[in-house]
Amino acid sequence: MTLLTVLLLAAAVILTRVSSLRTAVGILGFQSVIVALACLIFGLKTGEFHMYIAAVLTAVIKVGLIVYSLWKVTLQLKQEREIANFNVSFLLAILAIIVSYGFVNKVLPHMAGETLGAAIALTMIGLLMIIARSQAIMQVVGLITMENGLYLLGLSITKGLPLIIEMGIFFDILVAVVVLVILTHRLKYSFETTDTSILNELKG
Amino acid sequence: MFELILAALVLPIVIGLITLPQKNLTTIRYTNLAGSTLTSGVILAIICKITENKVFSSEFLYVDYLSAVLLLVVALLTFTATLFSLPYMEKEVKEGHATEKMIPRYYALLNLFTFAMVSVLVVGNLGLMWVAVEGTTLASALLVAFYFNRSALEAAWKYVMICTVGICLALLGTMILYYAQVNAGGETQALNWLYLKQISATLNPTIVKLAFVFILIGYGTKAGLAPMHTWLPDAHSQAPSPVSGLLSGALLSCAFYALIRNIIIIQGTIGTEFIHTVLLGLGILSVLLAIPFVLGQHDVKRLLAYSSVEHMGIIAIGFGVGTPLAVYAALLHIINHAIAKSALFYLVGIISQEYKTRHLKEIQGIARVMPAVATMFMIGILAITGTPPLNIFISKFLLINAMFENKMWLLGGLTLLLLVGVFAGLMNYALKMTFSSVPEKMKQANVSYLALTAIGLSICLMIVGGFYLPTVLSEILTKAAEIVIGG
Repeated sequence: MTLLTVLLLAAAVILTRVSSLRTAVGILGFQSVIVALACLIFGLKTGEFHMYIAAVLTAVIKVGLIVYSLWKVTLQLKQEREIANFNVSFLLAILAIIVSYGFVNKVLPHMAGETLGAAIALTMIGLLMIIARSQAIMQVVGLITMENGLYLLGLSITKGLPLIIEMGIFFDILVAVVVLVILTHRLKYSFETTDTSILNELKG
Repeated sequence: MFELILAALVLPIVIGLITLPQKNLTTIRYTNLAGSTLTSGVILAIICKITENKVFSSEFLYVDYLSAVLLLVVALLTFTATLFSLPYMEKEVKEGHATEKMIPRYYALLNLFTFAMVSVLVVGNLGLMWVAVEGTTLASALLVAFYFNRSALEAAWKYVMICTVGICLALLGTMILYYAQVNAGGETQALNWLYLKQISATLNPTIVKLAFVFILIGYGTKAGLAPMHTWLPDAHSQAPSPVSGLLSGALLSCAFYALIRNIIIIQGTIGTEFIHTVLLGLGILSVLLAIPFVLGQHDVKRLLAYSSVEHMGIIAIGFGVGTPLAVYAALLHIINHAIAKSALFYLVGIISQEYKTRHLKEIQGIARVMPAVATMFMIGILAITGTPPLNIFISKFLLINAMFENKMWLLGGLTLLLLVGVFAGLMNYALKMTFSSVPEKMKQANVSYLALTAIGLSICLMIVGGFYLPTVLSEILTKAAEIVIGG
């Protein structure tokens, strides 16, 4: 479990330094694999059957379908690269990890497992990506990272939500990615770029 | 009852699926008109059943008076929006803003949107409610982006991004609430609303307070409360007008409903003081922030969108005051605002189609060009600003009355003052648009009777609502207010 947590955080931190869209999607896939594995381990630990189903769903939807659809879009966006200040977001990501572990140790010492801090950190890094990145695909990657963090958080404080709610959440995330991929396509088609910083016409 | 709810959920999906592969536009129009009439009928039947049986609850479904109030809004608006879509979309195709190929997609998404909103209102589980609220965002996102031009894409992108992040925070809040439930030993009926309400006193207040903050930010974003309202004017102004009406009247109200359902549980744990203070603060802030944008606006649909922010603020103030009368007024205001604002969005849809612009300065002399539309537009504006004797006056009056009864002199006075500001802004633009001289290129325009029927229906409700409230509705509202307060 410790190994997984370390890998997960490392992946998230590296994600803040990536400028190529395809690498980012790859790392996202890796991240989701770890979440699926964590789910499996929780299942083995607690012996709850619905954890296994959740693990399979994570694998199919987050690792399979979402990464596949994002990958397909990035194939058409070969010239697109992220240009942001990587050093700042890198430092902020590390800060996020420190703060979340500090927070968990201080405020919720009785449940200071290793995953809870990682989950909060992952959520914060996802949010950071959405705010600090201007490439459409990067923002989507941030969104899924954030969702992965929330999912992990749910796993570590409760034993995961009931299966039907979890399935609903997975479905929503999948549809959200489909909608965002359609919009990204259209952005490329209308603006000839997927840099969302040009979306600044609507004001007042 | 179960069958009725199931029908209300299945009908929009079936109609949407029938519409999608259909190519004949006439068939699409009639199927959808029949479909939305049927859906609204079924929803009204559910409301009738509720007045007899008070509640219906099963494993995942839960409907009571509070849901009935919102179901009424959705039933009315789905019907008028579909009815208005028929002439509006036909004209859009004729003018070349949309192609015939896009029409089936439009109606299919509209039905999906209805499905998502109805499901928010009938589920009895806070987790599933979250799923449904996120579903409304996704169903409406492609409607906001419908024209796929630059501004529509910008609006849709911001809409999905801001609302999804916001709603993710609500998910976090919901998870924390579940954690509180598990800690209190109630693991069996996870996030079941009725069960949570029963055990709310045994939950840990600190944890629940944390959950409340996230839930408020999350659903507050979706309900368009300031300062999380930034997506709202963009999305409302870029969507096709019937959809703008639905977004503003029904969707914001549904998000508010999800917030209220959560608050009913949370107030059982941490009391009402903190919740009411925060709601009052956000409410006043929403009204306050909307004023400068209403006063200095250039786009007529954005003008109405900011007015929606203001009205959501008023509703938040109503729930924040928290006396039975104030909550009653807030619930009545949800219905009144939905009727008036959707009618206004439809009217503005017709107006901007005729003038081929949404710019306030270029729309002049509607009274000469389209007398019927101008009359309805003025009635709508008078209603939305709370002028007597129209329906919104009643709910605003009750609300202010409740504030003064509760000895909130300062807050009541401040609210009144702010409402005057909004009144000035809206009236200023509406009078200029309606009664100034006609631009030379404009000729007398013919408006389709179907469109006038859809809007006329709402206008009638606005006028009647100012004089007379049916006893049944009044009873539903009173009972719903009791549920909100925790009876």
